[in-house]
Amino acid sequence: MSPMIRGLSCAVLLGTAVLGGCATHPDSEQALQQASNDFQQVKEDANVLRFAPKDVIRAGESLARADRLSSYWGSGADVVHYAYLSQRYSAIAREHTEQALNQERGVKLELERQRLQLALRENKLISVQQQGKWLEEQIASLATTQTDRGLVMTLGDVLFDTGEAELKNSANRTVLKIVQFLQLNPKRVVRIEGYADNTGGERENLKLSRDRAQSVADVLVDLGIDEKRIQVEGYGDQYPVEANASERGRAQNRRVEIVFSDEKGQLGAAR
Amino acid sequence: MRLTQQALEQASAVGANADESPELKLAEAKFARAKSSMADQSYKNARMRFEQAELDARLAEAQVLTRKSQEQLNVLNARITRLRKQLQLGEAQ
Repeated sequence: MSPMIRGLSCAVLLGTAVLGGCATHPDSEQALQQASNDFQQVKEDANVLRFAPKDVIRAGESLARADRLSSYWGSGADVVHYAYLSQRYSAIAREHTEQALNQERGVKLELERQRLQLALRENKLISVQQQGKWLEEQIASLATTQTDRGLVMTLGDVLFDTGEAELKNSANRTVLKIVQFLQLNPKRVVRIEGYADNTGGERENLKLSRDRAQSVADVLVDLGIDEKRIQVEGYGDQYPVEANASERGRAQNRRVEIVFSDEKGQLGAAR
Repeated sequence: MRLTQQALEQASAVGANADESPELKLAEAKFARAKSSMADQSYKNARMRFEQAELDARLAEAQVLTRKSQEQLNVLNARITRLRKQLQLGEAQ
C-alpha cells in the first residue's frame, strides 16, 4: 500500500465533497503508518516468524483491514482502531519471541551451570583428597553440638579472612560434608546464622555477619542444595559465645553457625 | 467481553498490576468504558473498546512473562559467575 496514492485519492475526494471528512485524515494516516512500520519490523525478524507466527498473522490481518477501511469515507475511527490492534499484535509478537529466546538461552545456561557445578564438586573433592584427610574425615562426625536450638555446627573465624565475607578454600571439607549430609537427608533444612564480634560499628557487623552466612549459603547452592532449604540470618555482635574482652574470645564470637532441622524438616525458631 | 475479562484475569494471574503496567491500566479503563458503552447501547464503541482492552491486557501479560524470563536468566547468570569465580579460586590455591 502506498500512502502517496491514498493521499492522492483523498485529495481528489476532498475536491468533490468539501465537508465529507475523508478517512485519511492525519490521525488515521499516522496510526496506519506506525502500525505498518511495526508490522514491517516483526515481519522481517526471522525469530519473530519462528516463535510467534500467529501474532504476526493477526498483526497483518488487522493492518490489512485498517488499510482497506482507509479508502472509505468517515471510517477514520475504524482505521485507527484496527491500526491499534495491529500494533498491539506486533508488540505481543515481540514479547512472545523474547520469551521464547529467553527460554532457549535459559536451557543453554542451565547446562552450563550444571557443567560448572560438576566441575566445582570434582574440584573440591580433589582438593580434599589432596589434603589427605578424607578417610579421617569420613570417620569423624560432623563437628556439631546438640543445643536447645537443635543440631548446630559452627564454622570458625579461621575460614574467613579478616573483614571478608568470602569463604576460604580451607572450608571445603566442611562444606562438602554439609552438602553430603543434606543430600543424604533430603528433608532436612538449615538456617545459616552469621555472628560478629563487637569491634567495629553495629551496622558493619550486621552486614558482615549476614554476608558471611550468605556466602556459606551460596556455596551450598552452588554445590547443588536447593536454595529453598536454606535460610540465612545475620545477627551482628549479638549472642556472643565468649566475652569480647580478649582476642581469643572475639575470635570465638566471629563465626557462622549452621542450624540443622530435624529429619522432618522442622527447624527451631530463629533467634 | 468474556475474552477481555479472561485476558484481564490472565494478566493479573501472572502478576501484572495496573500500578506498574500502563498497558494493564489502559486495559482496565477501556474495559470499564466498554461496559458503560454497552449500557448506553453504543455497541460499536463497546466492541472496539473490548477488543483494544483485550490486546492491552494480553500485552501486559506478555510483558510480565518476558520480564520474569529475563529475571530467571539473571539468576542463572549470577550463579554461573559465582561458580566460575569459585573454580578460579580453587585453581589459585
